[in-house]
Amino acid sequence: MSEETKSNKFSRRKFVKGIGSSIAGGYILSPAIAKAAKKISKEAKDFSEGKVPLSLKVNESVINVMIEPRTTLAELLRDELKLTGTKVVCNHGECGGCTVLLNNKAVYSCHLLALDAAGKDVTTIEGLSSNGKLHKIQQAFVDEDGLQCGFCTPGQVMAAAALLYKYSKPDKQQIMKEMSGNLCRCAAYPNIIKSVLSAVEKSNG
Amino acid sequence: MKTYDSIQHVRGESKFVDDLFNPEGLLYGYVYYSSIAHGKIVSINLKKALKYAGVRGVFTAEDIPGENQIGGIVPDEVLLAGSKVDFIGQPIALVVADTKLAAKSASKLIDCKIEEYPAVFDPRIACEKGELIIPPRIFSLGDVNNAWSQCEYIVEGKTETGGQEHLYIETQGAVAIPVEGGGIKIYSSTQNPTAVQKVSARILNVPMHKIEVDVPRLGGGFGGKEDQATAWAALAALAASKLQRPVKIILPRQEDMRLTGKRNPYSSDFKIGLNKEGMILAYEVTFYQNAGAAADLSPAILDRTLFHCTNSYYIPNVKATAYSCRTNLLPNTAFRGFGGPQGMFVIESAINRAAEVMGISAHEIQRKNLLKEGDEFPYGQRTEHCRAIRCFEEAEQRYDFKMRKNYVEQFNQENKLVKKGITVMPVCFGISFTTTFMNQASALVHVYTDGSVRISTAAVEMGQGVNAKISVIASKVFSIDISRIKIDSTNTTRIANTSPTAASKGADLNGYAAMKACELILERLKKTACNELKFDDPKKVEIREEHIFYDGNRTPLTWNKLIQAAYLRRVSLSAHAHHATTDIYFDKEKAKGKPFAYHVYGTAIIEATVDCLRGTYKIDSVKVVHDFGSSLHSVVDRGQAEGAIVQGIGWMTIEEVMFDGKGKLMTDALSTYKVPDIQSAPKDMEVHFLEDAANPFGPFNSKAIGEPPLMYGIGAFFAIRNAMKAFRPERQFDFVAPITNERVLLTLYPAERFSGMKPDLAIDDVKTPAALVY
Ligand code: FES
Ligand code: FES
Repeated sequence: MSEETKSNKFSRRKFVKGIGSSIAGGYILSPAIAKAAKKISKEAKDFSEGKVPLSLKVNESVINVMIEPRTTLAELLRDELKLTGTKVVCNHGECGGCTVLLNNKAVYSCHLLALDAAGKDVTTIEGLSSNGKLHKIQQAFVDEDGLQCGFCTPGQVMAAAALLYKYSKPDKQQIMKEMSGNLCRCAAYPNIIKSVLSAVEKSNG
Repeated sequence: MKTYDSIQHVRGESKFVDDLFNPEGLLYGYVYYSSIAHGKIVSINLKKALKYAGVRGVFTAEDIPGENQIGGIVPDEVLLAGSKVDFIGQPIALVVADTKLAAKSASKLIDCKIEEYPAVFDPRIACEKGELIIPPRIFSLGDVNNAWSQCEYIVEGKTETGGQEHLYIETQGAVAIPVEGGGIKIYSSTQNPTAVQKVSARILNVPMHKIEVDVPRLGGGFGGKEDQATAWAALAALAASKLQRPVKIILPRQEDMRLTGKRNPYSSDFKIGLNKEGMILAYEVTFYQNAGAAADLSPAILDRTLFHCTNSYYIPNVKATAYSCRTNLLPNTAFRGFGGPQGMFVIESAINRAAEVMGISAHEIQRKNLLKEGDEFPYGQRTEHCRAIRCFEEAEQRYDFKMRKNYVEQFNQENKLVKKGITVMPVCFGISFTTTFMNQASALVHVYTDGSVRISTAAVEMGQGVNAKISVIASKVFSIDISRIKIDSTNTTRIANTSPTAASKGADLNGYAAMKACELILERLKKTACNELKFDDPKKVEIREEHIFYDGNRTPLTWNKLIQAAYLRRVSLSAHAHHATTDIYFDKEKAKGKPFAYHVYGTAIIEATVDCLRGTYKIDSVKVVHDFGSSLHSVVDRGQAEGAIVQGIGWMTIEEVMFDGKGKLMTDALSTYKVPDIQSAPKDMEVHFLEDAANPFGPFNSKAIGEPPLMYGIGAFFAIRNAMKAFRPERQFDFVAPITNERVLLTLYPAERFSGMKPDLAIDDVKTPAALVY
């Protein structure tokens, strides 16, 4: 584990501990709940407004940044790292628009603190192709026209990429299940399914 | 043939408004809005908000240098409420700060005191009180009063259709950047750049030439960004002008849902008369449109409801009355179909009710009354190249309707708790803005010296594939490879006085304009070719796949060489052209004319399965024969059809907009407002392109596609309803959409069957979705 990751872990623990002890205090001294709550929010605020170091890998590059602990992974990617391919659509973990890979698993980056990605590997839509060559799932979305306005597309593509990591030969049922967390209001669903199926076929054929 | 920009899209490289570079000194705006549906603003105290760390300014109605007015059709809507509020979600102030978070946090410190007035949410009540946006509109044909006496059957009823949240995946947003001389450049996610320009100029009290609006592309619009993108852009412009700093406003999803209007809910009454054979002789209908608190586009939407009140049928005697009712809800707005679907739902309901009374199938009535060549619509236009019967019959045959119907009947005999329903849904949709002057567009085409081409038009790309279609048109006119063509962002300095990209007309109008501009350049190139080759008749010059032919013979000239030659001969390689649809007109007073350039026809057959124990259902299949004309781009067209069908089904089934008794939106997140996901989209969707269907009124014989297929979704309602009827043949069901799982269950099991359930939840008493108050 790298130095940065360690120090970052420490920071997280401190953050959690700080909140936890205040809550416990509040419980024991019930008449003082209001006061304790005030203290918690002040502590949380003091803490959250300070910046903490974070180290992680994004698209194969090591990134060391100072961020506010409340920063979501999506905010880190879009606002700090200017990787605007990742879209924030609902910011509530309800649509899949912000899907990225965390150690090759699909996660909603709007619903994950950037600190939770400490020491891990993040892949965004920008990092999916290598040496300018489209990843097979990207190619499949192009070939099968699995998109209309394109806004949900990065999320769809990343969810599909994760699916290909998860299953070597996913069947249609598995595809539908894994892709069901990604909304497309243009309802390009028939072609999205075709895109994933074609990528699956190509990787097995 | 690929969709435009698809490689960029899959790489995440396509820039939407929120992805554009962040200009130096960018500030963020957050909108503070009313939490009261109707009332007087007593005081607004901004002191605390202004003191909040990072806040650069808080703006209210008083800060507007120009006119505080954003109304398009009717000037009845302010940008920022100053003295009174008319709906929950009405903007009152804009907080601008260094960060999004600071702006939002500071907005919570605004202290606005509002004295609450009684509010109205039900359009029928609003109508009774005389709260109408515009005077009532009436369309009529023949004489209904005389016709009733000839009818064997006269059936009356009531229908309700709910709102629909656009849920474009990219929320509303804009960035405004101050430029020299008091100007503002605005990047906006709008379908209507000129409206943004005009309103921002009005708000800032500057001439329109000081405002430049650029629209890179939209992450979906569906009508929700035709009128309702303007306010956020104008607010950003206001703050940018005041602070002389760039200002970005991107509505977070929840605010987007709370602050923007939706599809207009309708409550309607119908009366339909038929003879013994099932021919419809008379139809009387009254529409109560819930416009919300301001006109927005509701008057035009109301007109389109009337234009489509008889759908794909010829009815000799019609009287259709429509009221646009002012209520204390968000101003409702355009949504794919623009009032057409709301009108069609009523006639389909009337036919279904009539069929029940007559003891025949609705399909029989539909079939007998389809439009024929030369039939008159209630607005005076007659059908031309009518394909209603062709599509209907071809759908029946291709998808073996009789066999499927028998199968459904047999299935229902064999199964007790699970029932199937099948229905046919014909659609006839008029193409053109029904406000005639809007049927115009322009294009600017540049050919560069390397032979590449860049085109600007008034059209906004929002996933509907207009850029792909315009590229096809240009590549056909020049006969060059499509990769040579780039379509530009939509920008008011390149193309002025744009009509919104709406009414499915984007590709038609702008395609024609681009075609004309390309043709102007082509003419010059032909002359140049003659000069180069020392020939004399430019008419004999032709470009075939980048090679220049004269009188059928290939010459040494190629596209590249010809362009070079033209440049050296100082021939202009740029052209601007304007297109206006000819031969359309509409007399609003008489409600007669020829408002549409043409009509789009099609028929869908829809099957559904209902679990009558749980109230859940599946749409098993949607099979369509659709009249695309000669499709310009089959990939785009098919995608549009499939997407529209799913959206239409969503509107009819699971998408339910709900407000509480105070007019507060309850469905303001994706957890409470459901849209079709990959699982709920129909498993089996087939769209057949009607063959041999050239359209003389569209570019390269094509037809518009964006909206018409949405209305196939109406069939989902009746398919589900038919399955329910198979379960409870003795019950009479309402025509209330959306027919959610809950509603299915409560309809199948009236309240008295539930011991613990309150009787006020009985379906017979369910409040109208038009009132949207539960
Ligand atoms: S934006 Fe993250 S799930 Fe919707
Ligand atoms: S392509 Fe537009 S939301 Fe999916």
